[in-house]
Amino acid sequence: MKLKKYLALTRAGILESFQYRMAMLVMVAGNLLYLTVVYFFWKAVYASAGTSVVNGMTFSDTLIYLVLATALFNFMEMYTVWEIGRNIQSGKIVLDLLKPMRFRSFLFWSYSGTFVTQFFFTFLPTFIIVCIVTNGAVPLGINLLYFAVSVVMAVIINYAIDFMTGTICLYTESIWGINIMKQVIVLLLSGANIPIAFFPDTMKTIVGYLPFKSIYNTPLTILLEKNPDITVVAEALGIQLFWCIALLILSSLFWKISLKKITVNGG
Amino acid sequence: MSKIIEIKNISKEFKVLNRREGLKGSIRDLFSRDYKIVKAVDNISMSIPQGEIVGYLGPNGAGKSTTIKMMTGVLEPTSGEILVNGNVPYKDRTKNAQEIGVVFGQRSQLWWALPLIESFRLLKDIYQIPDDNYNNMISLYKSLVDIEDLLHKPVRQMSLGQRTLSDILAAFLHNPKIVFLDEPTIGLDVSMKSKIRTLIHALNKEKNTTVILTTHDMGDVDALCQRIVIIDKGKMLYDNDIEHLKGFFGSYRTLKVRPAGDIGKQAEELEKELKNLSVSITADEEWISILVNEEKSKVMEVLGTIQKTHDIRDMKLEEISTEEVIKKIYEEGVE
Repeated sequence: MKLKKYLALTRAGILESFQYRMAMLVMVAGNLLYLTVVYFFWKAVYASAGTSVVNGMTFSDTLIYLVLATALFNFMEMYTVWEIGRNIQSGKIVLDLLKPMRFRSFLFWSYSGTFVTQFFFTFLPTFIIVCIVTNGAVPLGINLLYFAVSVVMAVIINYAIDFMTGTICLYTESIWGINIMKQVIVLLLSGANIPIAFFPDTMKTIVGYLPFKSIYNTPLTILLEKNPDITVVAEALGIQLFWCIALLILSSLFWKISLKKITVNGG
Repeated sequence: MSKIIEIKNISKEFKVLNRREGLKGSIRDLFSRDYKIVKAVDNISMSIPQGEIVGYLGPNGAGKSTTIKMMTGVLEPTSGEILVNGNVPYKDRTKNAQEIGVVFGQRSQLWWALPLIESFRLLKDIYQIPDDNYNNMISLYKSLVDIEDLLHKPVRQMSLGQRTLSDILAAFLHNPKIVFLDEPTIGLDVSMKSKIRTLIHALNKEKNTTVILTTHDMGDVDALCQRIVIIDKGKMLYDNDIEHLKGFFGSYRTLKVRPAGDIGKQAEELEKELKNLSVSITADEEWISILVNEEKSKVMEVLGTIQKTHDIRDMKLEEISTEEVIKKIYEEGVE
């Protein structure tokens, strides 16, 4: 069975992440710290605005959005760029290339186990806590299904962008700068750090034409919409699907061309 | 015997930026288009039958790894033809990967945090090894080496020797037709080295696996290889069996002496005293080895000179060793 070899990698990923219990704890602590900063920052923003609704969002709307964005980030961030970059520098990439599997699939499925653990250990608990604390601010209905579909596509888009950024490392042989740049661009333009509703109009228009929005803003908007309109949701999912396909093709082509130029270290 | 690897006139060129010195030079390098072409592999041909163990030798930077990367399909040759198991490796990399195994000396393909058995199970699924074959292989491993304890140990807690051993077992697990071993014994102690050599030998015999071995340790070559291929600066220097190679150096003898006193110090003195007899001297903990070319000076003459000033406790006369042959080829080439 074909799927079995991929699921074997998922299983190994789950086993591996349990080996690093401390890392999980530290990550939870780090997130709490980040969320504290977010809380006080936006509190100040709303206090200085003088109104309770800014750009169509109340303080608690904004906070719910950002808390869930952080949880989603922990779930979706795959550190692919680091992984590819490190493997290129150490030369380990040769071993990965010699698996009877496409490199892109190998890398994705190797990481997929962490999706499972992160989902159960960070996203789900955060989501449940938010639901309880806000007492009904998060609608629980058909939107959860739309959200699930949207997240799957968001993961694919995010991975394709990461993979392309990682491919650049084949040329530069350095990771740090490229990774930071990618991270800043993605987190800002996707609406993970600041809800897109707060962007000035020109920025909103530009962001509308870029794929990043589909990573965080789309799934979160779908999740938090109290009266989902099926046509709006369908349009958002359609745009996601378009980016999914486009970026998968693009990243695959870019990788194929780049691999020809590869000069593996220690050769 | 059918040929498992066919290589015809392959070359590989790399484009390398001409680097300038100093801060100013580095800044100018940012905009430089001044490339030079480096030929890492230059017109190499060979064909290897199924089941052979080939020692692929050459000094550092000779182009060994580049050739191996072309055979495995990671690199595409600039020119020439290459067929591995009927596939063109760089075109059918994933298909080719199913039929080969690799061990790169200092890197591990094993899952770092997991016990070895988990890595094996994963590889079983990745390579889609049928249950029977997998179980047979594991019991074969158990009969060859003592892996019971290793199986449940996380790879990151293993010693270098244990890890290398595990990596070799992992490379053979899907019963590939060819296994590439790139310096498998690097950094290992004497007993581990011999353990690994025995293992490779046994697996080759048992499964008729072709093994391409690169190494700098002539002990590996003596223990395993019938045939050796030597390259340097990308060019093929030699491709034949070891005995034949030693024939080139038929007039060479190794005179081994054990003098009284400190061996290192004695060796240094001998170096000076035997200067005009054109010999080369190496020393280990037990013996001082003096390589004598009988066409230039006689062994008895060398021995006589030594005895004048040194007290010899023990001596023996040997043929030229593989190590010395290879050293001479690296330094002087094959005439």
